[in-house]
Amino acid sequence: MGVVQLDAYVLVLRGKDSLSFIDGLSTNRVEGTCTTVFTTSVAKIIDMVDVIDKGDFIALVGHGPYKEALIDHISQRILGQDVSIGDASASNLVYLSTEDIEVPDNVTKFNSFRGWLIVSPSNMNFEITMSVADYDEYRVENLIPIQGKEITPKSHPLACGLSDLVHESKGCYIGQEILARMRSRGRQGKQLVRLANPVVDATTIGETHSLAIKRIK
Amino acid sequence: MDCNTCDSPTAVVINKPEVVEVDLTITNKAKEMLSSAFGDEMSHALLVGVLSGGCSGYMYDLQIVESTDQDCQEVDIDGFRVLVPNATSHLLDGIEIDYVDRLMGGGFRINNPNAESSCGCGESFA
Repeated sequence: MGVVQLDAYVLVLRGKDSLSFIDGLSTNRVEGTCTTVFTTSVAKIIDMVDVIDKGDFIALVGHGPYKEALIDHISQRILGQDVSIGDASASNLVYLSTEDIEVPDNVTKFNSFRGWLIVSPSNMNFEITMSVADYDEYRVENLIPIQGKEITPKSHPLACGLSDLVHESKGCYIGQEILARMRSRGRQGKQLVRLANPVVDATTIGETHSLAIKRIK
Repeated sequence: MDCNTCDSPTAVVINKPEVVEVDLTITNKAKEMLSSAFGDEMSHALLVGVLSGGCSGYMYDLQIVESTDQDCQEVDIDGFRVLVPNATSHLLDGIEIDYVDRLMGGGFRINNPNAESSCGCGESFA
């Protein structure tokens, strides 16, 4: 396949409490580079972010249109912790590659469940080799959700294919009680599915199959 | 990611809540238990803090400390020194510190008029 550019923001968190701060507010266990989800008290998604531990700072890479909601959610909870937030969205571009490709030293590459996430300085010319339509076809084929289509504020993580990002045994976080109850009772409600076309209420339409969030009986 | 650009990202403006002068109370039962916990060390203080996290977004954090490097306001209640960090004063104004004496789920409890909701265990609030 190839490389597609994402509509993404890059927040930079500094301070010794940054990782534990993100860990305490999101669904996955955050001890370093990983992907996690911020949810509301009713377990609806605020955003899924890739957490990239760069040693002296943490980068949060999320979906552009969800940036303000995420900043509002986390900034009011810093309280007295050693965490500062900067917005490096304007100086970086974010790509996703379906294959492991060579990148220069000043480009960060991270293998996420969606493929290889690439964060590059915005003054670099990174070649885009895949159209959004091709990327959608790849996602349908591999049952990969993205923000804005499957991953939206209307869904909870278990409904849109993000179960692997909801840690089963970590401590409390906002929305945890609801997600734990859904899991323990086996009542996840809707799930992300790949169905042969035509699909009513498809979230992503492919050539032969589509993705949809459907109630499983 | 270009570290040169990451060194100077645009700072996100965070609206820090106003520091309020905290008014708090401690029930007689909680005073008894604090007396027992402090022992002869009445120069120590009860630090009442709030951490982010928990099922509802904020978690209470009670500690007995000699001192703290946090920017705090000190309240004297019947000889007990109570420290409240200014960063969380807006969440703790008007609280009542109580002690619940039961085998399961017992211990210090905070009744907080600022809390819109609390989780089942009572340690977390929103």
